[in-house]
Amino acid sequence: MMPLSMAETGRMNQIRKIGGKDETRRFLENLGFVVGGFVTVVSEMSGNLIVNVKESRVAISKEMANKIMV
Amino acid sequence: MKVKIALAGNPNSGKTTLFNALTGSNQFVGNWPGVTVEKKEGKIKGFTAKGEEAILVDLPGIYSLSPYTLEEVVSRNFLLGEKPDAIINIIDGTNLERNLYLTTQLTELGIPVIIAVNMMDLVTKNGEELNVERLAKDTGCKVVEISALKGEGIDQLIQRAVSIAKTGKKNSPAHRFEGCVEHAIAHIEEAISGKVDPSMERWYAVKLFERDAKVQESLQLDPSLLAHIEEDIVSCEKEMDDDAESIITGERYNYIGSIIEDCYKKRVKKQLSTSDKIDRIVTNRFLALPIFAAVMFIVYYVSVTTVGSVLTDWTNDTLFGEWIIPGAQSALESIGCASWLTGLLVDGIISGVGAVLGFVPQMLVLFIFLAFLEGCGYMARIAFIMDRIFRKFGLSGKSFIPMLIGTGCGVPGVMASRTIENDRDRKMTIMTTTFIPCGAKLPIIALIAGALFDGAAWVAPSAYFVGIAAIICSGIILKKTKMFAGDPAPFVMELPAYHLPTVGNVLRSMWERGWSFIKKAGTIILLSTIFVWFAQGFGFENGSFGMVEDMENSLLAMIGSAIAWIFAPLGWGDWKAAVAAITGLVAKENVVGTFGILYGFGEVAEDGAEIWGTLANSMTAISAYSFLVFNLLCAPCFAAMGAIKREMNNMKWFWFAIGYQTLLAYVVSLCVYQIGTLVTTGAFGLGTVGAAVLIVGFLYLLFRPYREGQNLTVPKSINGKMNV
Repeated sequence: MMPLSMAETGRMNQIRKIGGKDETRRFLENLGFVVGGFVTVVSEMSGNLIVNVKESRVAISKEMANKIMV
Repeated sequence: MKVKIALAGNPNSGKTTLFNALTGSNQFVGNWPGVTVEKKEGKIKGFTAKGEEAILVDLPGIYSLSPYTLEEVVSRNFLLGEKPDAIINIIDGTNLERNLYLTTQLTELGIPVIIAVNMMDLVTKNGEELNVERLAKDTGCKVVEISALKGEGIDQLIQRAVSIAKTGKKNSPAHRFEGCVEHAIAHIEEAISGKVDPSMERWYAVKLFERDAKVQESLQLDPSLLAHIEEDIVSCEKEMDDDAESIITGERYNYIGSIIEDCYKKRVKKQLSTSDKIDRIVTNRFLALPIFAAVMFIVYYVSVTTVGSVLTDWTNDTLFGEWIIPGAQSALESIGCASWLTGLLVDGIISGVGAVLGFVPQMLVLFIFLAFLEGCGYMARIAFIMDRIFRKFGLSGKSFIPMLIGTGCGVPGVMASRTIENDRDRKMTIMTTTFIPCGAKLPIIALIAGALFDGAAWVAPSAYFVGIAAIICSGIILKKTKMFAGDPAPFVMELPAYHLPTVGNVLRSMWERGWSFIKKAGTIILLSTIFVWFAQGFGFENGSFGMVEDMENSLLAMIGSAIAWIFAPLGWGDWKAAVAAITGLVAKENVVGTFGILYGFGEVAEDGAEIWGTLANSMTAISAYSFLVFNLLCAPCFAAMGAIKREMNNMKWFWFAIGYQTLLAYVVSLCVYQIGTLVTTGAFGLGTVGAAVLIVGFLYLLFRPYREGQNLTVPKSINGKMNV
């Protein structure tokens, strides 16, 4: 298990756990980041990521990406 | 008969395009009560003729009906409180899974829902298939295929939506959750039966199951009942080994998964989409910044220097300078209008408002570019690219756009800060945007550079440097104050797929922004030009009040003399300079014109070449630079102040912003003058000590230790659309 921020670009990863405060977690869940779901890192820019989740592209900061374990 | 229909959907699902297509030009734009979230309403086209009316209310783009973001709360309150007759739920056909998540929640509300599957043309083009009948059966809603962009399926959607709204036939949610969840929900429904609208029982029950605090509060259930409900929830949580809210989320996605399996045929295992491929280049670690710089250069070059300046020069010099102003002058004189009235109308109102309207063509060109960048999806990427850099000094990636626009004019710049949802980032952006020299400040720079620095090439770039330094330092200083302290908002934003925007949408967006600027010119600028005209033309001469011959006797000179001492420590305690700075509040380019009048030259060129000699005699290089810095940083013109007031939406914050800007301008100018004088002449005095103290204080504020909170808070919204 590792944080999404360390995942390799272009590879599909399965989400294993989402950490952080309840509120943060729910927020990510509403966006489609759910345990068991798949996420692909499209691009990385000094830590911020663009990821593909449930067929949509979402840009997330490094801090948020650290809370998502794959 | 009047029906009310709500339009709900995810951000980037084509909601705005559909709304425009459904309502045409019959729109009313306002804010939702109490918040700055935009509320749009419109009459649906083609349903007014038969004596019937259908009102469409555009809800903010949302991903769910949870109570975490402002947009969600606004939408939820509207749906629950005002109970529209029907909901049109627009979903993006290319991204069914995430879009249907909201659908599952909307169908629980007990309001008839009709699903409009957008971007069906793209789905087909991708070689994928969506079985609409099955989708309708699985969700329990009527489904219409549309393409909002091409206007396909809109008529059918209108007909069905209105007929559903009229019959009021409710659709019961087709989805069922896991056994034990349903069991708990059934128990809760039973417990609250009679306390809520029967058609909404299920929605309330699900929300109570999720322990939604806002719902608990609004229902005011008795504690014993709540405790009873809690028991059900806890036993279900134990069985599923998860917390209640995640159970529901998981159940919804499971159900959606089953729908997609049933009605959606994917062609192949998914490869990288076109948008992903573009993103790999455009947001690439190495290429992102060069590409971004090139795009910005083109936008700026075309809209500010080439096409834009041609248009602005034409409006200022030909349209107003040669046609309207002389035309109005002679027309008024020919009908024998009183000379003071002619003066008010021509010199005061037409020239004043005209000076501001002169920027409109240039701004419209800039707005076309911005609308295009926004429409095609690149704007959201800009925010992503700039975020890491701007984050370092307390701003967000989205702050870049207002500042870019601010180089043209501060008014639309400040207005563009609307796209920044995080309150702290937005307020900080509003406060700092006008530090960047706008188009109207350029003549001041040209005047000072020409008169005292022999037209040295470094003066103009240094003005931009001062502006950028002011933004960075302000960001760092403000971030450390109590007012702005708190948890940082993490950057989360949906990036829409790249696509070519339609001409209609680009023009509409350009016009909306341009029009709000023009309206401002017609109100606040009009009033202030009248005031300044009056103050500089009237005063006490020969013991009586009236029109004055000599401007030295005017009210404006009185005001200037009364406050000139304030600017003495900055090196320009002359009342003329003080008055010039005041008239700069109406419009910055007035500063040059005022000097012209006060030095007795009447009309001067834009850079004031005629008065260079006189100005050089009354100021030193250091005091002139201090004057320049003050005018660059202090409170902007009335129009921009009006924009700040509107965007802050709070008088206290407005005054704080204006006060901060003016104070910073004063402090920086003071230091420039005092330290500059010390270096060049060696003169040491009280002012020098004051400047030294201020510099130390400034450095303390800049470098004092600060720990930013580590908690991540949920951003208010993550709409990647950036409706500037």
